[in-house]
Amino acid sequence: MTEKPIQGEKRVFMTGNEVVAWAALAADVDIMYGYPITPQNEVMHYWTRLSPKYGRGFLQTEDEISAGFTTCGGVLSGKRAFTATAGPGNMLMQESMTMAEMMRIPTVLVVQQRGGPSTATVIYSQQEVTMTCFGGNGEGLRIVYSTSTHQELFDYTIKSFNTAWKYRFPTFVLGDGYQAKMRESLYIYDPAAKGIVMEKTVPYLGQEGTPGVDREPQHLRNTYNTEEELNEQVNNLVAEYEKIAPEVIEYQTFNTDDADIVIIAHGVVTRAAQAAVKELRKQGVKAGHFRPVTLRPIAAKELKAVAGKAKKIIIAESAQGQLEKLVKDAIYGIATPLENYFRPGQGITSEELVDLVKKGM
Amino acid sequence: MAKTVKLALAGEGGQGVQSVAGIIVEAAYNEGMEALYIPNFGVEQRGGVSVAYCQISDEQIGSPKFVYADLVIALSDRAVRRTQQYVNKNTVFIYDSSIEGVEKDLPANAKKVLAIPALDTAKKELHPRVFNVIIMGAAIAVTKIIEVEAAKKALEKKLGYKFEQDPKLRELNFKALERGAELVKDLV
Repeated sequence: MTEKPIQGEKRVFMTGNEVVAWAALAADVDIMYGYPITPQNEVMHYWTRLSPKYGRGFLQTEDEISAGFTTCGGVLSGKRAFTATAGPGNMLMQESMTMAEMMRIPTVLVVQQRGGPSTATVIYSQQEVTMTCFGGNGEGLRIVYSTSTHQELFDYTIKSFNTAWKYRFPTFVLGDGYQAKMRESLYIYDPAAKGIVMEKTVPYLGQEGTPGVDREPQHLRNTYNTEEELNEQVNNLVAEYEKIAPEVIEYQTFNTDDADIVIIAHGVVTRAAQAAVKELRKQGVKAGHFRPVTLRPIAAKELKAVAGKAKKIIIAESAQGQLEKLVKDAIYGIATPLENYFRPGQGITSEELVDLVKKGM
Repeated sequence: MAKTVKLALAGEGGQGVQSVAGIIVEAAYNEGMEALYIPNFGVEQRGGVSVAYCQISDEQIGSPKFVYADLVIALSDRAVRRTQQYVNKNTVFIYDSSIEGVEKDLPANAKKVLAIPALDTAKKELHPRVFNVIIMGAAIAVTKIIEVEAAKKALEKKLGYKFEQDPKLRELNFKALERGAELVKDLV
């Protein structure tokens, strides 16, 4: 057996793309399928540099349509497989990800959001929220983790493989260009050293024995003939998704218990929101922050409880209301006034949020 | 250190601001500080203004970008114009004295604006290749983020393999670091 990529735990200073590659190695990923696009290129670059040392595979495909489908194929053969993309590439992967929804294929896709629409910028945005949560034709039966630090990028990349294989829904790690390209410190570790057990992977196709004799036949379908047949299938998928949702949901709250003003933000913007709340509390302002970690499924009940108690809600995001749509859907029925701070394609700092809160007082 | 030091280095693609920023934050990290560095550039392969945002602190750093910098170093006319937005009354603004036609674009609200002959010094005294290391020396001297010794260690780590082949390169780089600090000594 080859040596473990990481022994125990160690502190490192690296870019987010490098973090993803190390996390995938640590999570015992068998193969990455990929096609280059900024700002996620270095996930591939580091993976291709590191993976041969540990006997792992890589396939560069001709485009993102292929990268998505080959990832599905890798998983069907029982491999722990993933891909990574951004922006227009994310769009091209939607078709394969809906197949993964329909056929319950545990793919993992790491998205490093860039600006949109179209080519836009290669820098940063939070404009791929709607697409990553609901991008395909269908019902958005996926799990989406929105990370904010390199530590989380490492933790959740590992976790996404277990979530995917445990629940058999396509799982996404939603980062962004800032997280992809910036360097900061974190601890990387061997999951076993933290007591994390990787979910077993099994082939969907080509299992031992004669189908119908030695084992149940595998019946993988993404095509249906009648309205009724499809409706029943989708109902079943939705029911299973809703059943597991409470187990999957993750969120964080910061000083929300007695907060008059609650800032709702996700991903890297939570860093600004957390710092803003700290600063505002120092100045005697009763500010709090709610951060959904899973955007799909979202912690609707918890969010509604926090928002319902507040006197004002501020939704801050580097997009024109993509998080706002998720939030409004979750908190329907409460009367707390809502203010938006939309900066599509642009970073948000704690100073801006502090000013915004104080101006509104 | 009581607060987070914020540094914006901006120049033309290829002037080496990103590699210098990388070495500075690496040095700070090695000294046990929290550091965050984020490069910013457009879709072009070559050229264009390249900005490096660095933050160094003794505690975890918040948002990767910031509104105002403690120190801005701009190395081209376009970089001077682009980085004005990061200047407020607490900002030290340094630009290279060889940049022409920016008199009207220099920030009026900075704590201090200083032109330094980094490019000239590199060309005449040292070597054009160590221009960015002169800038690094200046940045470290103004912000006092790390000691010169720590910066030398970081350079050694980054360029050690080259220094081994040609020890004169080590001398040249270390000299550039010191010259950079000297160029801003009036500020320190």
